[in-house]
Amino acid sequence: MSQDLTTTAESIAQTIAAFVSKRVGADVPADKDLFESGLVSSLFAMELVVHLEQAFSVQILGDDLKRDNFRSVQAMTALVLRLNGAE
Amino acid sequence: MPESLADAHELVDDLVGDQAIEWDRAGLIPDGVLRTLANRGLLCAEVPEASGGLGMSSAANGEFTAFVGSRCSSLRSVMTSQGMAAWTIQRLGSSRQHAAYLPRLAGGQLAAVAFSEPDAGSDLSAMTTTIEPDGDAVVLRGQKVWTTAAHYADLIVVVGRYGSGAAAVVVPTSASGVTVTRVPRPSGCRAAGHADVRFDDVRLPVIAVLGGGQPLMLLVTTALAYGRISVAWGCVGILRACLDAARHHARTRRQFGRPLAQHQLVGRHLANLLTGEQIATRMCEHASRCWDSGSPDMVVASVLAKQVSAVQAAQGAAAAVQVLGSVAAHEGHAVERAYRDAKLMELIEGSTEICQLILSDHAVSMTAR
Repeated sequence: MSQDLTTTAESIAQTIAAFVSKRVGADVPADKDLFESGLVSSLFAMELVVHLEQAFSVQILGDDLKRDNFRSVQAMTALVLRLNGAE
Repeated sequence: MPESLADAHELVDDLVGDQAIEWDRAGLIPDGVLRTLANRGLLCAEVPEASGGLGMSSAANGEFTAFVGSRCSSLRSVMTSQGMAAWTIQRLGSSRQHAAYLPRLAGGQLAAVAFSEPDAGSDLSAMTTTIEPDGDAVVLRGQKVWTTAAHYADLIVVVGRYGSGAAAVVVPTSASGVTVTRVPRPSGCRAAGHADVRFDDVRLPVIAVLGGGQPLMLLVTTALAYGRISVAWGCVGILRACLDAARHHARTRRQFGRPLAQHQLVGRHLANLLTGEQIATRMCEHASRCWDSGSPDMVVASVLAKQVSAVQAAQGAAAAVQVLGSVAAHEGHAVERAYRDAKLMELIEGSTEICQLILSDHAVSMTAR
């Protein structure tokens, strides 16, 4: 991974982690499973979708909406990177 | 085609005229009325222009929804279904699916969305309808109840179990194995075409499957987000119609030597109606701003708007019946319809109690500010 990509990934992960932490009121490690930990309700899951779309100017449609893509800050970061790269 | 809000309002007034009372009695909106609005893209006005729609903002479409709701809640209810079908396709579908379906919904076809089942009402997690892959197709099996607008629909977006999660599937009502049976004499929105729908081994192409793999409740929450804000704006319309009827009556009807409006207990009803209309309007405007700015708050704001507006509409309609007295005590009178229609709004798109549960969960999970 080039330096640029690492920086991008880090800043994306930070933005997402900040949103999640603010919403749940606690620090959330990047690899923490948000569904298993019961942190994510259906409402919050949809808020995450809208947040990612708005914050990173991506569209998350169809198969990309599957649960695994939103399981952790790490997974969401990978999704955003992939969608950004696809443009 | 550019469509101004004023033109849209004028068209609705031309189409509805004084017919809403007849449609309520007959339990039917004439096909021509629905097709005219559908052809102009007005039943799902937020579909983007790139997909053949009008590309209206949530705020503008909200005002339009309230206007239709002030004239005829059955017609507004059909609009809610069409808009929710379009939103679900837009939200869950791929760009190929957008191209396949959205221009049809924005260009004359009618659509509904099916969630509830005989044993899965408020508890949609008890849903048993299945969508199963079968070779190069999928097979839909199950039964849905109280599907608004299904009687009129060319397409029904059906939510069901799919693999370990859920999906929605777009089903032509003409497909083999689809049986649509009208709900006889519903108590409110009587002309909204509520129907029970059975799907007996309905074979559909894979392109009909929207999403797939996400948890059932995420999918339901996503689809309902549009339904909720649309119902909320519809309730604003109910409140406006009730306020207009009540203040007109209170100004003109005289008892005990003066207009009703000068009797303090009647005046309180008018004040409460105005307050309710303003509260509901502000909640809806806020929710629409969240939609139009792409804010994650749109999800909660829509539940809040639905909850507040439906409760206000039910209270406001009851107050209006009280003010109009015997004048409103006729089947089909605008205020009597509002009274029945508003109560139904407290039951659908998440009952008042379900919305309260969602909001209480949200309150618990919110961080301090």
